[in-house]
Amino acid sequence: MTGSVRDVDLATPRRRRVANLVGPVALLVAMVVAGGVLPATDVFTLRLVVVYALFALATNLLIGYGGLVSFGQAAFFGAGAYTIALGWLHWETSFWLTLVLAPFIGGLLALVVGAIALRTRRLYFALLTLAFSQLFYVVANAGYEFTKGADGVFGAIVPEFLRGRNPGNGYLFILAVASLAALALWKVTASPFGLVLRATRENRERMEALGVNVYAHQLMTFVISGFFCALAGALYVVAAGSATVELLDWGQSGHAVYMTVIGGMYVFLGPALGALAYTFGVDYVTQSGLGHWQLFLGLALLGMVIFRPDGLAGLLSPATWSGWVAKLRGRADRGSEPEGRR
Amino acid sequence: MDSLILDAVSVLSTAGWLFIVSAGLTLVFGAMRLINVAHGSFYMLGGFLMTSLAASSAGIRFWWALALATLVVAVLGALLEVTILRRIYQKDHLVQLVATFAMMLIIADVAKTIWGSRARTVDAPAAVDGTLTVGGASFPTYRLVIIAAAVLVAVALWVMLTKTALGWRTRAAVEDPELLSSSGTNLTLLRTGTFALGAALAAFAGAVVSPQLAVAPGSDTSIIVAAFIVTVIGGLGSIPGAAIGALVIGLAQTIGTSVAPSWAATSIYLAMILVLAVRPSGLLGVAER
Amino acid sequence: MTTLLAARGLTRRFGAFTAVDGVDLSVTEGSIHSIIGPNGAGKTTLFRLLTGLLRPTAGTLELAGVSIAGKRVHQIAQRGLAQSFQRTTIFPRLTARESVQAAIVAREHRSFDVLSWFHRGATAEADELLAKVGLDGLGDHGSQDLSHGDQRALDVALALAVKPRLLLLDEPTAGMSDSESRKIIDLIGLLARDEGLTVLFSEHDMDMVFGISETITVLHQGRVIADGPAEQVRADDEVMSVYLGEVVEGGR
Repeated sequence: MTGSVRDVDLATPRRRRVANLVGPVALLVAMVVAGGVLPATDVFTLRLVVVYALFALATNLLIGYGGLVSFGQAAFFGAGAYTIALGWLHWETSFWLTLVLAPFIGGLLALVVGAIALRTRRLYFALLTLAFSQLFYVVANAGYEFTKGADGVFGAIVPEFLRGRNPGNGYLFILAVASLAALALWKVTASPFGLVLRATRENRERMEALGVNVYAHQLMTFVISGFFCALAGALYVVAAGSATVELLDWGQSGHAVYMTVIGGMYVFLGPALGALAYTFGVDYVTQSGLGHWQLFLGLALLGMVIFRPDGLAGLLSPATWSGWVAKLRGRADRGSEPEGRR
Repeated sequence: MDSLILDAVSVLSTAGWLFIVSAGLTLVFGAMRLINVAHGSFYMLGGFLMTSLAASSAGIRFWWALALATLVVAVLGALLEVTILRRIYQKDHLVQLVATFAMMLIIADVAKTIWGSRARTVDAPAAVDGTLTVGGASFPTYRLVIIAAAVLVAVALWVMLTKTALGWRTRAAVEDPELLSSSGTNLTLLRTGTFALGAALAAFAGAVVSPQLAVAPGSDTSIIVAAFIVTVIGGLGSIPGAAIGALVIGLAQTIGTSVAPSWAATSIYLAMILVLAVRPSGLLGVAER
Repeated sequence: MTTLLAARGLTRRFGAFTAVDGVDLSVTEGSIHSIIGPNGAGKTTLFRLLTGLLRPTAGTLELAGVSIAGKRVHQIAQRGLAQSFQRTTIFPRLTARESVQAAIVAREHRSFDVLSWFHRGATAEADELLAKVGLDGLGDHGSQDLSHGDQRALDVALALAVKPRLLLLDEPTAGMSDSESRKIIDLIGLLARDEGLTVLFSEHDMDMVFGISETITVLHQGRVIADGPAEQVRADDEVMSVYLGEVVEGGR
């Protein structure tokens, strides 16, 4: 076994809390710098990475923290994207208005979907959310008049200064919004609500017996996740300048799940790491002409899920490092001992 | 009257091959508590193998190819069970979903390498490759072959599960694995066999349907979604449930297509949502452990 | 002396099978009451009726004078009924302290609070509770890393955290060694006296029961065959033959 999987302890002493801050802050700084330093094509990719990172973080609230495996988060991601795209297309609504509106529409949709889906458990829940995602995909496809179906919505949807040949502005905007959103999501996990969420994940019946209305609690989690998934979808339009029906299907929902699994479900920023690895990984494989990206993704996922359930974040955690260092040190010590002793 | 016959045949043949695929999925889940996303891959492989093996429409060749395709995938299934799936039995659903999804990706890639990205078809054997006219309605004869195959599978499964020792052992494996293994049954072998059977059913469906539906990359994902819906409606783990679910979807599909073609696809998802909203474990579901 | 829990004619049928048949139960506030009976007597079903996991087919059930029959689990829990489970059910990946903190959050109706740091403020109380059940200093241990006996103690701590009026314990010593059982039973007695808790527990182990219970109800095949002060029940002939006889045969 790869060792017991544990959550990061919330009740940490002040010193450790400050130390915990260093990582994310450093990451943010690195991201900002990268935006100025890397070539334009990479920055374009980075924009998508940040969008997917938010998508994955929001999804992980359900999967990692809540233990609710949803294969339908793309429904909200797509809803957010289409709010902006269709607002622009049909009513020439202000981008800023639709940007604010998008997450609320996602949250509302999540309320409806969640109210139904959360009556089911485990596998039925996963498959039902998948069905909802597919339903919205199919509806969007069929409703060509309104949604432009498979053609998608393209055009000058996003304000000029966020578009443009220099992807930098749009990148910083996306990064800023996503960072704030991530902070909010983090607060949700580091709150009384978040503690109850994790406890419910561990043992639903026990929480019920302690007086918590678990159905209502999970519904709230679902709505919060939908809210931020939709925000990510809205940011997608900024990053890609378009909205297509593929954003809604279960394959897209699957992306969020893999990024979460690859990056690590039990550390808050794990999914963001997964988004980075996944996006650049797929990019690299397709561009280098290796082809067979499905093969690599499949093998990576399989390996991760069987051998490293903590994901990449688990790989990089202090516990793992000290474990390896100890092993190496042990080997070095043995090597320096005289032959006879062994 | 004509369109009624046409619709009936259409519903029954769609429900037929959906049943065969879904029976495999639900059997594996019921007996092993394993949800296999790659089940659709077996279906696709069955179809692809048919396109390679049944090169011409010579009658006997076709039926042999059918059997061979099914067998090859069954063996593949057994191999995968032994090497990969053994490790994920007791793990939670997320692990199973992701691991079997990963398997699906790998198989899809291999299939693409072998058979390319274009859709492929097979000609039905001349004997059954025609149109039949009943009343005033004309439909492809082969539809009856599919319906017959589905009935055959249903009967064979029923006999196996209720009348044979292997059958009750498989069912007992769901209820009380400890008791079963202490009574001398080789649980490991039983599991491998059950999984191979599930794979065989999927491949059989894919092979049988190949003269009617072209096989292409993407068949795996579209069929697995349909199979999920059918099995969930019927209740995971229940083969009679799979039959009911298949009929429901066959109906929804046919009615949807005649009423509003571009919106037909929504009907199957709505059906699933409706059923689960009323009965959260499906119509005849086996309670989760 | 007020009656905290009162059941009249409580019945639960499963098709043709009657698991609990017209049970009358009366638990006085501040007392320690136990329910005993051989396997299959209906103890577990009765407990599930009391906690809301099952709805009664017939009969009334009142907690502090308010009817709770047919109410949902979390609603009954909010009215002051806490339980500690037969199969130890903890929160595996949470630490002991976090588990208790979660229970405190639930008690204070802060489960939906996304804005505050209340749960961290509950650390002191959580540690106090852990100390009370003998888990002093084990706060940072993962729940799944604790010994079986300690996990059961943690379970009791969780039940206590919600400051219940009535604590239900379904076979608290099941699967434990003699010394672990002793510890748990002593703990229960201590808590009942110190916290003024009303305790209702079901048990298989006769010695444990007679050592600590003030009043006892004996179940057999879903019906009450004896009910009253411990000494009185102990001397009851029918109880002797039905239940203790079985136990004697088992070589206890």
